[in-house]
Amino acid sequence: MNATPAPLLEVSDLRAGYGPTRVLHGITFNLAEGSITALLGANGAGKTTTLRALCAMLRPQGEVRFGGRRIDSKATEDIVRLGIAHVPDGRGTFLHLTTEENLRLGAYTRRDRRSVEEDFERVYGYFPRLKERRRQQAGTLSGGEQQMLAVSRALMLRPRLLLLDEPSFGLAPLIVREIFEIMRTVNQRERTAILLVEQNAAMALALADQAFVLETGRIVLAGPADAVRRDDAVRRSYLGY
Amino acid sequence: MDAFLHQVFAGLAAGSIYASLALALVMIHQATHLLNFAQGEMAMLSTYIAWSLINAGMPYWSAFFLTITIALVMGIAVQRFILRPVRGTSVLPLVVVFIGLLVICNSLAGWIFTYTIKVFPSPFPAEPMFGQRYVSSHELGATAVTLVVLALLYGFFRFTPLGLAMRAVAQNPVSSRLVGIRVGWMLALGWGLAAAIGSVAGMMVAPIVYLDPNMMSGILLYAFAAALVGGIDSPGGAVFGGFLVGVLENLLGAYVIGNELKLSVALVIIVGVLIVKPSGLFGTVQVTRV
Repeated sequence: MNATPAPLLEVSDLRAGYGPTRVLHGITFNLAEGSITALLGANGAGKTTTLRALCAMLRPQGEVRFGGRRIDSKATEDIVRLGIAHVPDGRGTFLHLTTEENLRLGAYTRRDRRSVEEDFERVYGYFPRLKERRRQQAGTLSGGEQQMLAVSRALMLRPRLLLLDEPSFGLAPLIVREIFEIMRTVNQRERTAILLVEQNAAMALALADQAFVLETGRIVLAGPADAVRRDDAVRRSYLGY
Repeated sequence: MDAFLHQVFAGLAAGSIYASLALALVMIHQATHLLNFAQGEMAMLSTYIAWSLINAGMPYWSAFFLTITIALVMGIAVQRFILRPVRGTSVLPLVVVFIGLLVICNSLAGWIFTYTIKVFPSPFPAEPMFGQRYVSSHELGATAVTLVVLALLYGFFRFTPLGLAMRAVAQNPVSSRLVGIRVGWMLALGWGLAAAIGSVAGMMVAPIVYLDPNMMSGILLYAFAAALVGGIDSPGGAVFGGFLVGVLENLLGAYVIGNELKLSVALVIIVGVLIVKPSGLFGTVQVTRV
């Protein structure tokens, strides 16, 4: 028997959809503690739905365990309290609140006041631009700054698992690179596991340890990121060479 | 000139009451995007509770604070037990629920306390204070009480984590859930606070208009006008609108159209705002991409 530790997240036969429309037809995967996983796939494959199902933004069927505990019938608020932070599709910024208030909300469930104050400095260290803009309404920030804010808000939870829904969407390549660099740093320094949904497959595969490819609600390919990158079908469909 | 000043001050005093009720309307609107037609009747019912407590021998200010607490709990209960079950449905069922609440509160008050008009005491002296003749002690006191309530609310929303969470829920319930805020309870607390503010308005206006089950119907109309003038999504605007409507109503009533037609001022303001500037003075303009 090998001595690999129990996975941080165990998903088995996860099914979900919107009303009568089924989107996920039973997907099964594990995430290891401190790993980075890329979830790839075309539009409509079910990537965003997977993230939503994991934190109960829609009612999934199947089994989801986080740190060994079943979370598939828990409410979103309680799943967050276990340490899963989700940067949703569209970033979920509180546009009429200030940058600082957005970050404070990220730490809403935490009671350790002093380390919350330290975490402000920590995320301002990652994204100094947010510190400059801390009294500014979040709605007046640029797209890149709002994405930094969304990631920072999630980090304020000190999550064990970070779900990121297309952090590169609509952003300049330079800013995307900056955000991906920070993701790598966060993962290495704080052992935060990351599940990354991305259209930008090349960047996602460069960052990730392992990857899954979703096609119409099913996992069609899974494995170490290097192997997935070398897969012919992936190269043609998602990497474009 | 004296008479004019008197009208202005009386208008500001009435305006403070419209302002608090308008603020209660805005708070519910931020959570539900609807106007709570029952806001006035809930306030009236709370005022009857205060009247019963005072009549049972409780000192005024104890009854005042106990009533606010009861109203808070009542508001929370209304949201948890009456509104929550119909959430997620379309607008019309909610409107029907609001109207139902209005009728129920009104009939309940009539059934328990009868429709006979009752005198409600004022905690302030009968003689005008500070050696002036423009404004009665009760009007001055009611304005002061309202301003204190508004300041407390501002502090609550601006400086406490719970206040921040409530503002977050009003803006973006989905994101609020994702940071772990218990959205359902925040909505209920919003109802509780709105009902509490309403109860203060009720207790402050009852000595002026006398207590009866229909005492809030006209006042609610002014509060609607106030909320619309200020912008239905702007708490500060609602307060400003309240004072503006109070003064306008009094001046127009005294010098232009006479007291009998005063209530129509509210309707004219409502229709006028909806035609000329639907977002109000301080509201945000809603733009929908099609």
